[in-house]
Amino acid sequence: MVKKVLVISLVISHLFATDIYEKNCMKCHRDLPVSLKEIFMDYLLVYGGDKNMKAGIKHYLKYPSKDISMMSKLFIMNYGIKEKTELLDSELDRALDIYWDKFKIMGKLK
Amino acid sequence: MLVSKSKVTNSVLKSEKKSLFRFLSLYLGIVTIIISLLSFYYYKTQEEIMLSNQRANLEQYAYREIKRLKELHNSFDNKHNIYPRDKHFKSAIYDLEYVKIFSDMEEDIDIIFKEGIYQNGSYIYLVKMLTTYYLGAKYLIVEVKDDTLWKTNVVRNISIYGILFFIISAILGVFLANMFVKPMRNSILLLDRFIKDTTHELNTPLSAILANIEMIDTSSMDKKNISKINRINIATKTVSILYKDLTYLTLEQDRDRLDENIDLKSLIEDRVEYFMAIMESKNISCKLYLNESSLYIDKKKITRVIDNLISNAIKYNLRNGVIEIELKDKRLSVKDSGIGIKEEEIPFIFDRYLRFNDSEGGFGVGLSIVKSILDEYNIKIDVISSEQKGTTMVLLW
Repeated sequence: MVKKVLVISLVISHLFATDIYEKNCMKCHRDLPVSLKEIFMDYLLVYGGDKNMKAGIKHYLKYPSKDISMMSKLFIMNYGIKEKTELLDSELDRALDIYWDKFKIMGKLK
Repeated sequence: MLVSKSKVTNSVLKSEKKSLFRFLSLYLGIVTIIISLLSFYYYKTQEEIMLSNQRANLEQYAYREIKRLKELHNSFDNKHNIYPRDKHFKSAIYDLEYVKIFSDMEEDIDIIFKEGIYQNGSYIYLVKMLTTYYLGAKYLIVEVKDDTLWKTNVVRNISIYGILFFIISAILGVFLANMFVKPMRNSILLLDRFIKDTTHELNTPLSAILANIEMIDTSSMDKKNISKINRINIATKTVSILYKDLTYLTLEQDRDRLDENIDLKSLIEDRVEYFMAIMESKNISCKLYLNESSLYIDKKKITRVIDNLISNAIKYNLRNGVIEIELKDKRLSVKDSGIGIKEEEIPFIFDRYLRFNDSEGGFGVGLSIVKSILDEYNIKIDVISSEQKGTTMVLLW
């Protein structure tokens, strides 16, 4: 019984977490010509590791600016920059963890 | 001045051998340290030369690998990503938080995350820091196997030249030591020669004096003259002991030993009687605790031992002092209540010509004779002494 409750709560929390990323990130990026994976690889080139990269993205999401955007001038000219996030820090962290796990390099090289 | 070495002076050179041994030990110790330091410096230099030779190759490998990482980064998808491998080297990539991204090295090793080249075991590593983090990698580690040929050469060179240098230094050391010790050796040989010549001339007059003193009828003499005769007797006996020691050293110690069963109790009583006049002159009382005991030994030699022990006990005793001689089973002890010996001087008291107290006469040969005789018969001697309290010499056999 205890096991069942644990499994169910884990599944629910996972779905809920996925939801944060899907609902708040994919909603807009789905329609953009540059995929989140490409953006991830661009961030990776500049920021390198896990914590450094998450901190970089988080800062941009909270304080979006042309000067620190990873996107090209042409992209910014056409689509502008995003609006400041309304998510809480904890929600941002959860979304970023999902983003990192989805595209991270570790474990994907053979 | 050149002095020839004779048979009787062989033992004189024991101390010389000791000095030579000490000098050579120190000298060769220093030479060994110098060789070790030079070898270490040579090894390190050769290692650096090898690493700098390898560096160019490894830099080229790293450049090639970075290009491949860049290509993979640009074409990275979530399914088919083959890490770029090379048959000439192994590699690994780490992010800026030192987390391993991928490695095709056989073993997990502790990486030194500092740009440069280094060796770990039988592998050489080049750590390259990337300015653009392809695949998130900040550190690229390139690994090649060290063929260790250079090490074999270095060890061979160190062995050959090290041993050669050591042998040459040892020969030079022996030559130098002999050169430095030569004046000391000559002085000792001269002294021995002098003692040998002098003892020859002393025998006849000494025997005549002692025999005549024994024959003098003191009953008809007044007290003053008896006292004078007594003093002559003491002085002559003192010289006689010295004479016997010197004769033993120069003439008798190399002769064949004539061992027999010696009744130690009666011998000690006899020798104490001989020294009685000298003891009385210093008002020293002698207490004897003698059990029956015998020893299979040359009589002249054991007499020299007992004479020297008693003579020293008198010589270094205080006026009105006490000498206690105890003979029990296989143990003989001679205890005095004299000035004692400093603890740091005890190990050296058996050295020939060594005297720690100049207030008393003698050549410093007595205890050297005692030790050589005791060593010859495997008799152990213990020296128990404390300053201003006295000394006890214990013989165990």
